[in-house]
Amino acid sequence: MSGQKRDYNGVERKPHEGGQKRGGGQQKTVLVVRNEYTPMFERFRNELDQHHERREKIVKASRDITALSKKIIFALQRVRKIQQDLPNDIKKTMDGFLDQIAQLLATVAQETQGINRYRYDHQLSCMEELVEALTFAHYLKTQTLVSYDQLSADIEELARRGAASKSEQETKAQADANNDETPVPEPDQPPKHKAADAPVVSVTEQDYIYGIFDLTGEMMRFATTSTALTRSLAAADGDETSARPRTILQDMQELRSFIEMLPQKKGKSWSNKLGVLRQSVRKVELIGYGMVVRGGERAEGWVPDAEVDVDEEE
Amino acid sequence: MAPAMIDPQIFDQLKSKLEEDSKVHKSLSEIIDQLETQIAYAQGLLSRIHGTPRPEYPALLQQIEVPIRKEIEQIGELSKLASNYPYYKYNYRWSRHTQDAILTVLLTAWIGGMATTTSPGELGRLLTLEQVGDIFQVPINVKDRDVFHLTTEEYLLAVTNLTDELSRLAVNAVTLGDRELAVRISSFVKDIHAGFQLLNLKNDTLRKRVDSVKYHVKKVEDVVYDLTLRNLIPSKESA
Repeated sequence: MSGQKRDYNGVERKPHEGGQKRGGGQQKTVLVVRNEYTPMFERFRNELDQHHERREKIVKASRDITALSKKIIFALQRVRKIQQDLPNDIKKTMDGFLDQIAQLLATVAQETQGINRYRYDHQLSCMEELVEALTFAHYLKTQTLVSYDQLSADIEELARRGAASKSEQETKAQADANNDETPVPEPDQPPKHKAADAPVVSVTEQDYIYGIFDLTGEMMRFATTSTALTRSLAAADGDETSARPRTILQDMQELRSFIEMLPQKKGKSWSNKLGVLRQSVRKVELIGYGMVVRGGERAEGWVPDAEVDVDEEE
Repeated sequence: MAPAMIDPQIFDQLKSKLEEDSKVHKSLSEIIDQLETQIAYAQGLLSRIHGTPRPEYPALLQQIEVPIRKEIEQIGELSKLASNYPYYKYNYRWSRHTQDAILTVLLTAWIGGMATTTSPGELGRLLTLEQVGDIFQVPINVKDRDVFHLTTEEYLLAVTNLTDELSRLAVNAVTLGDRELAVRISSFVKDIHAGFQLLNLKNDTLRKRVDSVKYHVKKVEDVVYDLTLRNLIPSKESA
């Protein structure tokens, strides 16, 4: 009574023929002994199956989005200075990854609506990673922190774009069923009317804040490599003219006090992340110090095209 | 001059969100603490069944009504507060307690309490999730709106606690000379076990707890085995 075999859909398998029961031919033998609670549990089974299916779908997409976000970050780490336009190759790489992310977001958007957004919040850990990548990109372009509202809008737009390109591809795939051409994405085409109200994956405040924590780690890495290669702390393009250009060091210090001034959340992950953030800031502070104290000692020409020396103005 | 690194508005917005969040946590804690107290009291009272002969259940059931009524009140409060926020954002705070609250009414009903006009109290009655929702006057298993409710998982987890409690009762009932009750428990726990077998469980809490139901079955089977061996099973028992 307990060893009922089921296939992957949970549908009962027919017992093997030739069992001990004779005369099974004329009547369907039901192996499960049904009791008064059987229908209730069958209802629960359907419900749990739906839940597990949804969760798995989200987990899969989330894993991919996390990986793609990390790739974006790696690409961005190859940028050398803060500038309005990212170098072409990096921009292209990033856009490619973003397109993939957009499509993935579109596939799970339906599953994360309403009550389900927080139900699968844990499975949607990719959002934090995506926030990290996008805040980092925004910083490198503008030397500012992108706001929650702006970032949410961007990510929602991404999901809509994914939905639009998906439906586009579907229609194209149908039309080109006989052709070998691969569908070419046409970015200039206006999104389909359908896409405007396509479901989106929302970003929670927690995703945003924790993404900022992680952003400081990326800024630290960026500051380290860019300083080593350009002999100056990164500052905005064209800002060298002002007496004291705002550098990445000041930005990180500001981020640190920004986070510290916020009402602190209880819990391990907050305090862990805060610890890491403080360390990152310390590291960049030491880099800044090193630039001032030892920066001038290096022979000229050590780095081919040294630009501004921060310590010039000190 | 380039714009500032951080727009002050960003800070203000986040600050107020975080402040609201900690306020919610505080108000939830207050309600949950009170709910916890009532549940503990009800559970303590309910554990008297292990030393109470069946004819004295009615008196016990009357006493249990008091903390259960308070549980219903507290859950109503919780529902009112929690429905203002995304349900699953804070669900983890109270899920354990709602499970325990569900257990207290399931057990009370099983021993013959929680009678309503439509379903009279009788021994061996398992309340459905719908009935539990009616008792607590809260929605159940909500999917289309984001409000407080009791979930399928909470109910199922409570049922695993019920079989655990009943496996203890089977032993104690025999000690009190009530062998028939042990037999009833045995067939009930087996039915529930068969029900759980129908679920496709993933590796999660529910699975772990459902796995333990087979030990509850074993415990009551051992009791019935001892009775059978000595010809102590009441004669009117039928399979």
